[in-house]
Amino acid sequence: MSTAVIAIDGLVKDYGDVRALDGVDLEVREGEIFGFIGPNGAGKSTTIRILLDLLRPTSGTVRVLGEDPRAGGPRLRARLGYLPGELDLDGTATARQLLEHLAQVRGGRGSDRIAPLAERFLLDLDRPVRTLSKGNKQKVGVVQALMHRPQLALLDEPTSGLDPLLQQEFLTLIREERDAGTSVFLSSHVLSEIEGVADRVALVRDGRIAVVDDVAALRAAAGQRLDVTFASDVPLAALDRVLAGVEELRIDGLRARGVWRGEPGPLIASLHGLPVARLELRDRDLEELVIDAYRADAPEGAGQP
Amino acid sequence: MSDLRDVLVEIRWQLVRRRRALLGWAVALAAVAGIYVPFYPAMGGGELQSIVDTLPPELISALGYDRIGTPAGYLTSTVFGLLAPALLLVFGIGLGARTIAGEEEEGGLELAASAPVRRDVLLAGRIIAMHTQVFLLAVTTTVVTALLVRVVGMDVTLSGIVAAGLGLNLLVNAFATIALAVGAVTGRRAIAVAVGASIAVSSYIAHALSGVVERGDLLERLSPFSWYLAGDPVAQGVPIVGYVLLGTLTFVAWAAALTRFPRRDLGV
Repeated sequence: MSTAVIAIDGLVKDYGDVRALDGVDLEVREGEIFGFIGPNGAGKSTTIRILLDLLRPTSGTVRVLGEDPRAGGPRLRARLGYLPGELDLDGTATARQLLEHLAQVRGGRGSDRIAPLAERFLLDLDRPVRTLSKGNKQKVGVVQALMHRPQLALLDEPTSGLDPLLQQEFLTLIREERDAGTSVFLSSHVLSEIEGVADRVALVRDGRIAVVDDVAALRAAAGQRLDVTFASDVPLAALDRVLAGVEELRIDGLRARGVWRGEPGPLIASLHGLPVARLELRDRDLEELVIDAYRADAPEGAGQP
Repeated sequence: MSDLRDVLVEIRWQLVRRRRALLGWAVALAAVAGIYVPFYPAMGGGELQSIVDTLPPELISALGYDRIGTPAGYLTSTVFGLLAPALLLVFGIGLGARTIAGEEEEGGLELAASAPVRRDVLLAGRIIAMHTQVFLLAVTTTVVTALLVRVVGMDVTLSGIVAAGLGLNLLVNAFATIALAVGAVTGRRAIAVAVGASIAVSSYIAHALSGVVERGDLLERLSPFSWYLAGDPVAQGVPIVGYVLLGTLTFVAWAAALTRFPRRDLGV
């Protein structure tokens, strides 16, 4: 247990009558990059904000770097970095002034990394923050979350607002920070944005963790969407044999669609010799993964709040 | 003493990021004094008094024009009793409501509250930064008024002007802190503005009516505006009881904010 940087057990959070978190259990290990994936409104930000003591749990226990966020207070938060999901920066102060102030709050820690990180992300430090574009504000947020080399970085939708090139640069930076000793917990509503960097991911939906696994296993379990069209009629017997392993199979004239799990090799081999006009195997998107996992988790399927 | 250091860092930051707006307000307040004070010789004490005398006595009292013919009464009716408090209250209540609740609603409080600073320390730093800004603007009003009074040769003591400036500072800080505290307790900027502004306006009306209605002394005792002005600070110097009451109001607002803000959920 001593190697868990985040340990959440039975976490419930209500906003009035609305249950935002409905019993979240989660463990993030030291030294890993952990992805927290789910649609908007699933409870990702609520969870992260509880870890920072911006919100207080309704029930359940939370340990961040071994401490309760509330009891740990400023001493604990000094070891964390945080990128808010909705970052609002206003005022006439420049990005440099804001970042220097945030370093000052941490006793000067991180001040030396402001310039190099800004250069790396092509961030103009001398413009007033309120005149920055959404993407540039996001860069300011990324810099302040990581500049002081926190033990644990909590990043809420870090890639939103960054163009693809900068997303790549950001993911490279995340890996470097991890290698330098920072554990990273990052959320996204798009798995593909972070699957290249995350060691493990949790899928969250309706305030619950649907599944936790490493990305490759999750991808394999999720399977791929198969869409094959034949040039001419195929004997039904041959088709049955070829498509035996396909789930949710639908045949519509010359076209067959379904879900294929596992390596695509055997499927392609079995199609050999048949008059295939068009073949598509595509990773299923996140929403489908979550729904699958959720079904498996709660077979009654009764309406969760 | 790292809490003290944290408070100072926060105060410094709030002043740095607000300095341009603060300069604009200082110019506006200097202009208020600059427009009214030089007019006194032209309006003439007696001439203005004779115009005012044609008004019904209840109206004169309600407008606070009882002593407008005297230099001290003129300063009270124009700068210290009307325009400077009006402008400064707009500034102070707006700033108070924005300091916690406004930034919380817009998401700007996230970074400050997740930093390694205790929430009560963060709050204290921001309230003191607000007090500092109100103080600087009250000083601007006082200094410009005192200079112009000297230039046009009005018969008003410097100590009277300073006493009124002090009261202006205390009055505005009380309402600004109320607005900030309501925002710190509720997290809603609109509620903070509404509560701060409606108490300020009703307190002004109560003060204006106190000389007109029966049992006006009761209104005078309840209205923070009366705590500030009923003793006629420009002519009579500091009304100690009234100013202590204004300070107490500020203190109570501080206590309310400090009690609730560190314990509640932010940004919900």
